[in-house]
Amino acid sequence: MNFNQPTHPGYEQFTQELSSLISLYPPPFIYVNDVQSYRTTTSVIDDILEDLSERPPSLESPTKIYHARIDGVASSQWGLDREGDDGTRWNENLDSFLHGLRALHTQLCKLGVEVAAEGTESYEGICFVIVVKQAEILKDALLELMAPLPCLGEMAQLIICVVFISQVRRKDIKPPLGAAPEPYFMDIGSPTKEHIVKHLLSQFSTLSTTDASSSSQSITPYHPSLLPLYRHFTSVLCDVCFPFTHDPQDLAYIAVASWPGYAKPVLDEHRRYLAAKANEMDLDVDGELEDGEEEQERRRQDALALKPPGEDTRMRLTRLFNPSLSAALEVLLPRLSNAAEWAALNEPPPDLLAMPHGPPLRPVIPAAAAPSDITTGTANAPVGTNSALMTMGTLPRMARFLLVAAFLASMNPAKSDLRMFGRGLDEKKRKQRRQVARIKSKAAAKIPQRLLGPAPFPLDRLLAILGALLEENDAETRLPAPEFTIPGEYTDMEIARVGVLGLINQLTSMRLLFRTSPVDRLDGPPMYKCSVGYDSVLGLARGLKIPLNDLLWDPV
Amino acid sequence: MRLNGTLPAHLHPCVTAQKRAMLRSLHDVGMTTNDIAYQQLTNLLTGTLSRGEGNSCMVLGPCGSGKTKLVERCLSDINESPIVLRLSGWIQYSDRLAMREIAHQLAQQTGSSFLSNVDDVTESFPHQEEEEEANPFLDTPPDAVPVTVPGISLPPSSHLPALISILPTLARPTVVILDAFDLFALHPRQSLLYCLLDTVQSCRASPSTKGIAVIGVTSRVDTIQLLEKRVKSRFSGRTFRTAAPQQLEDWVKITKTVLSSKCTSGDHDNDDEWQILWQAAVDKFMSAKTLLNALNETFSITRDVRMLKKLITMVVTHISPRSPYPLPTHFTDAATLQRARPRFPFLYTLSYPALCLLIASIHADTAGHPVFSFEMLHETFRDQVRTSASAPIQINGGSIGMAFEALISAKIFVCAAAPTTTVVKEFIKYRCVVERDEVKKTVDKTGQINLKKWLNRAQ
Repeated sequence: MNFNQPTHPGYEQFTQELSSLISLYPPPFIYVNDVQSYRTTTSVIDDILEDLSERPPSLESPTKIYHARIDGVASSQWGLDREGDDGTRWNENLDSFLHGLRALHTQLCKLGVEVAAEGTESYEGICFVIVVKQAEILKDALLELMAPLPCLGEMAQLIICVVFISQVRRKDIKPPLGAAPEPYFMDIGSPTKEHIVKHLLSQFSTLSTTDASSSSQSITPYHPSLLPLYRHFTSVLCDVCFPFTHDPQDLAYIAVASWPGYAKPVLDEHRRYLAAKANEMDLDVDGELEDGEEEQERRRQDALALKPPGEDTRMRLTRLFNPSLSAALEVLLPRLSNAAEWAALNEPPPDLLAMPHGPPLRPVIPAAAAPSDITTGTANAPVGTNSALMTMGTLPRMARFLLVAAFLASMNPAKSDLRMFGRGLDEKKRKQRRQVARIKSKAAAKIPQRLLGPAPFPLDRLLAILGALLEENDAETRLPAPEFTIPGEYTDMEIARVGVLGLINQLTSMRLLFRTSPVDRLDGPPMYKCSVGYDSVLGLARGLKIPLNDLLWDPV
Repeated sequence: MRLNGTLPAHLHPCVTAQKRAMLRSLHDVGMTTNDIAYQQLTNLLTGTLSRGEGNSCMVLGPCGSGKTKLVERCLSDINESPIVLRLSGWIQYSDRLAMREIAHQLAQQTGSSFLSNVDDVTESFPHQEEEEEANPFLDTPPDAVPVTVPGISLPPSSHLPALISILPTLARPTVVILDAFDLFALHPRQSLLYCLLDTVQSCRASPSTKGIAVIGVTSRVDTIQLLEKRVKSRFSGRTFRTAAPQQLEDWVKITKTVLSSKCTSGDHDNDDEWQILWQAAVDKFMSAKTLLNALNETFSITRDVRMLKKLITMVVTHISPRSPYPLPTHFTDAATLQRARPRFPFLYTLSYPALCLLIASIHADTAGHPVFSFEMLHETFRDQVRTSASAPIQINGGSIGMAFEALISAKIFVCAAAPTTTVVKEFIKYRCVVERDEVKKTVDKTGQINLKKWLNRAQ
């Protein structure tokens, strides 16, 4: 039986169980639960079903198997996406879906009986397998399907096996009141490191065969002779990355991004060797001719063929590329960049192996993925702020002041404003928060605001803080205006401009500020919230020469 | 008899055939407890089919006690072939859907259409119908059709009595099976049930009309109380009860019957040789103490035969030419996997950052914050990295954020508040559903000393 071949390492037991279940006599409802390698499992199940449905009915499994796949994401358009002979649609609702299944069944049965009559195959009936991927989404999107879908076979009076694949436990998406029968559970454990290495190796062979068919002349990183090196590479890669993710597909993605760079020095070396050899051959061309032409040709080919590099080269490559692998993980796992960009950016210098031994290569982080402040180690820049950072670079000066003011208003308690921003007559500037000795109490420790997230604040407070900031940091840069005599009068005029209010609206539409009160509420000032993170605001504040940490009630 | 040796190659087809025979016989496990109900239901159907009576009854029993199977068995054992209308409360969640389905099934079984004129009507005046539905002053409220794609033509509910009253006038007697009977009672005004039961009650045996039987199938005990007074007074109140086997011996018997089902692989000599081997293996399996314990345990937890079937299925699927005989250990494994599923069997295989986040969430919990955001956990984690001498592996933003998302998608961290658009992702509040003990066991199992130390600090 060819399906028992371990094309998917680690799935041998599962493959055997599922294929024997489905090919012999399927239970009505199977629930496959996989937390860590969901996508791999899905493709494994696809392969198993594809394989089973392609097999002609035999004595071992006389039922013919048909399978359909419903993706939870696209489930609004579920069902048999085709029409009956009389033009009726089969995906209107569950009723017509069942009609469609029955019609299809009779049609296929007729076909099967005809084939069996010719005596080539034994035939005992038809089995439908319906696979629902990401079944947890059904709970939100099509709750009314959760109960009847598992009993589809009973309702249509056919042999139907419904397979749910989900990352979520059955308990979390079970319809209430025991509406659906309990499924036959199949759990997929987490893949081990060895299985992932095998998986990656099996991908190498597919890549190299496709490569070989396209152009046999050019030597690519997926040349079959590089397989030993690739084996070494994958084990190193898994050593570095396996603790962080167990998803084979993610690791394969990182491998695809890093391997061309890893193999390039070897290919360069080979190319140099070829060039040297070619020169040598040119010199040797009128030398000995006693050997047979073929023999010489063969030897020449042998000498020119790509050979796997030796142990010391491997060790050297590993040392050179180790930091780059973990950096690739950090960037590629959240998909802050893509594999192609990573590979292009981190291409090693040419003829790396010919150079004297140097320090490990420094990974180049793509600009879009570089956290604003990776060196400070805080690195809590959330995914997506990088694009926000870029737009913030183009903001006008007043908008930057507004953002800093909004951040302060979100992070400081309102009661602290007078202490932080107020300037008394005695010119004693800000009083910092007193460090109170911590009293151990039963009550829960207070969490600093920066961890709880921004708090909403009214527009008036934002304007007041903006005024304080402008008075401190912007007054010197203004044009002289002798008509303003009272201290702070100029600033008052600045913050009362329509432009400022317009900027606030603009920032809200850019989602740099969130408006938390409904737009149509008339009483009370509108409330806002700052949606920009600490790192970005720190960058802005530096540009404006505002000492941000001094103004924070609870500095980082 | 040696059962431990490897199986000769010529017997390999027998293994597959045996597996197939067992899986097939699992589907037709008969229940001795339902014999009385079978007799009663057969009597009722005979009355309808041969004497033209109008009958109504309810088949009541817990899930998996063989209600549907009982009805199907009765129908197939009866000599005459009535028109069978199968409706399910799960699919026909409104009376109009049910009507359409009735018309469809009638058309299939009698060959003539009953709603064609109705379809024409609705299709020619689709707007008018919508207007009718929107009119709040109608004294008959329109049926609530929660999810229907616009463009589906449904018969208007005013056609319902006409359609149902056709049933006794058909050439053959009719049997209506209402699966999930209790859900039909939730339809507005219970019009379908009323029409059906009214037709049943007024059905008089005469040469021009045929009998009609309405069989409600449900597992809900208080279904009769759900019926409106006018519906209840038309329902005969006959209830046939089904039950799962009540004795452990029954379970043992079922197991033995399923396992010793006969198979044919095509070759008689091989079959005979195989049968002897197999029967010995089954006897050995059935007498194993671990098996009897597991059976007993399962039986005391649930009386649901479907559970037993699942356990046997798992034993059967583990049979292969390499280990051709049923093993009691497979049965006990199946019991842990299928019966009382461990809450989070995969916890200890989580990636390193995910484990760190779990521990951080426990710390947050002991600090009095059962609800946390990503930023809080990340801060705890960073503190841990900074303070501990043997720091855990250095992790920057990327992978720990992904681990957090993985935990959310596995529903280990569940949202504590309804998601809003005005909260940035890192500050959304979550709760951890994994208990402290489970985390402790997990960390012990992974054997990482620094993680263990870190967790132990959360007191």
